[in-house]
Amino acid sequence: MSAYAALTTAGYRAYTRDRTTLFFTFAFPLLFLVVFGLIFSGQDVEQSGRPYIDHIAPGVLAWGVGNAAVFGVAFVLMQWRRDDILRLIRMTPTPVSAVIASRYVLAVAVGVVQAVLFVAVATLPFFGLGVSGSWPLALPVLVLGITAFLMLGVIVGSYAKTPEAVAAVANCLMIPMAFLSGSFLPLDMMPDWMQTLSRALPLRYLNDGVSGALTGGGTGGVLVDCAVLAGFAVVLGAVAVRTFRWSDKS
Amino acid sequence: MPPTAGPQDGPAVVLDAVHKRYGAVQAVDGVSLTVPRGEFFGLLGPNGAGKTTLVEIMEGQRRADSGTVTVLGRSPWPRDPALLTRIGVQTQSSAFFVRLTAREHLRTVAALYRGDDAAAERALASVGLTEQGGTRVDDLSGGQRQRLAIASALVHEPELIFLDEPTAALDPQARRALWQVLRDLKGAGRTIIYTTHHLDEAEELCDRVAILVDGRVAALDSPGRLIEQGSPTTRLLVPAERLDLDTARGIPGVERATLEGDSVVLETLDAGSVLAAVDALAGLRGVRTRTSGLEDVYLQLTGAPDPRA
Repeated sequence: MSAYAALTTAGYRAYTRDRTTLFFTFAFPLLFLVVFGLIFSGQDVEQSGRPYIDHIAPGVLAWGVGNAAVFGVAFVLMQWRRDDILRLIRMTPTPVSAVIASRYVLAVAVGVVQAVLFVAVATLPFFGLGVSGSWPLALPVLVLGITAFLMLGVIVGSYAKTPEAVAAVANCLMIPMAFLSGSFLPLDMMPDWMQTLSRALPLRYLNDGVSGALTGGGTGGVLVDCAVLAGFAVVLGAVAVRTFRWSDKS
Repeated sequence: MPPTAGPQDGPAVVLDAVHKRYGAVQAVDGVSLTVPRGEFFGLLGPNGAGKTTLVEIMEGQRRADSGTVTVLGRSPWPRDPALLTRIGVQTQSSAFFVRLTAREHLRTVAALYRGDDAAAERALASVGLTEQGGTRVDDLSGGQRQRLAIASALVHEPELIFLDEPTAALDPQARRALWQVLRDLKGAGRTIIYTTHHLDEAEELCDRVAILVDGRVAALDSPGRLIEQGSPTTRLLVPAERLDLDTARGIPGVERATLEGDSVVLETLDAGSVLAAVDALAGLRGVRTRTSGLEDVYLQLTGAPDPRA
C-alpha cells in the first residue's frame, strides 16, 4: 500500500470509528435543517418571494460542510502534533504532499457525502426543496469552499494545543459566521451593514454558490463565488503555511 | 536479518565538535564521538545535560550550530529521505494513529516506509505483541504501548536505531522483556543508540556509554572500564548486632565505619584483609559487599551529592 493510501485508510477508519465526529458532521447540521424547516414550513421569504427552504437547505449545507472541514483538520492537526504523529511521519521518507493529499481527499469525500445527504433530506416532500438543473455547479463550489475552510482549519489547529481550544476557537469563528453569512436566516432579512460585512466572509460565497447552483440563481454568480472562494483558499493557505508547526516544543 | 543497504565498513555515527545553543543555554558544547556499527551505545546524563538535543541532532530533527554530523556516511540535515529509511526513531508512546488497532497502526507506519503488511507483522512479533494486534491502541497497557512505540521504530528493519528512554515507566517484568528485544536487535547486527536513567540497565546492556554533563562528554568508555577508573572503595555491610562501631574502626585497612540502619558499613580499599578480620571478629554470615557500580561513577561525574558523604 502506498503511504498516501495507508494514511487515507487510517484517516477513514479513525473518522468512521468516532461517533462524536460523525454526529457533528452529519446529524447535527441535519438537525438545524429539520428545526428551521419545521418552523418555516411552507413559508416564503417576504423580501425575495422564494420558499424558505431554498435559503435554509443550501445555507445549512454550506455551513455543515465548512464546519466539518475546519473541525476535521484542526482536531487532527492538533492531535497529531501533540501525540508526536507529525514527528513520526517526518522521520519516514513519506513526502508531506502525500499527507496533505490524503487529508484533502478525506475532507472532500466527507463534504460530498454531507451534501448528498442534506440535499436528499431537503428534497423530501415535507421540506420541498426543488433542485435546479444547474446542480452540478455545486461541485466546484463545494471543493473550493472545502479547500478554503481546510486552510482555516490548519490555522486553528496550529494555534490550538488542546481539543477544548480547537472547539472553542472553531466555534467562535463558525457560528457567528453562519449567521452573518445568511446560512440559517436569509440575508435579505438582515440590516444593510450585516449584508456588507458578510462580503468579507468566505461562508457567504460558499452559501451563495451552493444556493445558486441548487436553486438556479444563474451561472455567472456561481462562477464569481467560485473565484472568491479560490482567493480565500490562496490567502488562508498562505497564512496556514506560515503558522504551521511540526512540534509544540519551541 | 543483517542490514543490507549502504557501505558496511564506516562507523554508524561520527560527531565532530558539535555545538547547539538555545538562547542563553549551550545545550551541546563541543561533543565529538564515534559509534561503530553494531555497537550498543548508551547516552547518560542528568535532565538538561543535552542528551535529547544530541539525539535529535543525530536523527536530523535539529541542525547543529557548528561541527559536523555524519550518520551512516551521510549528513542527517537537511532531511534526507534516503537516510530516513535506514534509521529508526522511537517516538513518544502516544504517537499512534487514533482509533486504530496495534496491527493497523503498524501497517500504516510500515506503509509510510513503503513496507508491506508482513513487515508490520514481523515488528509486532519482535516485541511480543502479536496477541494484542487486534487491540485498539488506546486500550493497550503502558508497557504494551511502549513496546508498540519501539515496534514502530523497527518496522522498516533499520540499520541504526535511536531509542529515548525505552524502559522508562515499565514494571520489572516488562523491562526485562524489553531488554531481550534490545539484545536480539544487537544480536542481529543493528546499531543502537539509546538514552536512559537506569544505570544498572546501561551497565547490563551497553557496549559503551557516554556520560553527558552540561552539554559535554564527561566520560566515554565501556561500563566496566568506567567503573574500574572510578572509586576503588569497597563497602562491607556487617549486621550491627555482631560488630560495634569502635571495634570496626580498629580493623586495619578500614577507612571509615558508619552505622546505617541495622548494618555497620565499613569502607575499605583492601577488601580481602578486612573481610578476613571481620570473619575472625564476627563471622561472615549475613555480611554483604558492595563494590562501586556505574551509578557511583555517574554520581561522581555529574556532581550529584553523594548520600554517604
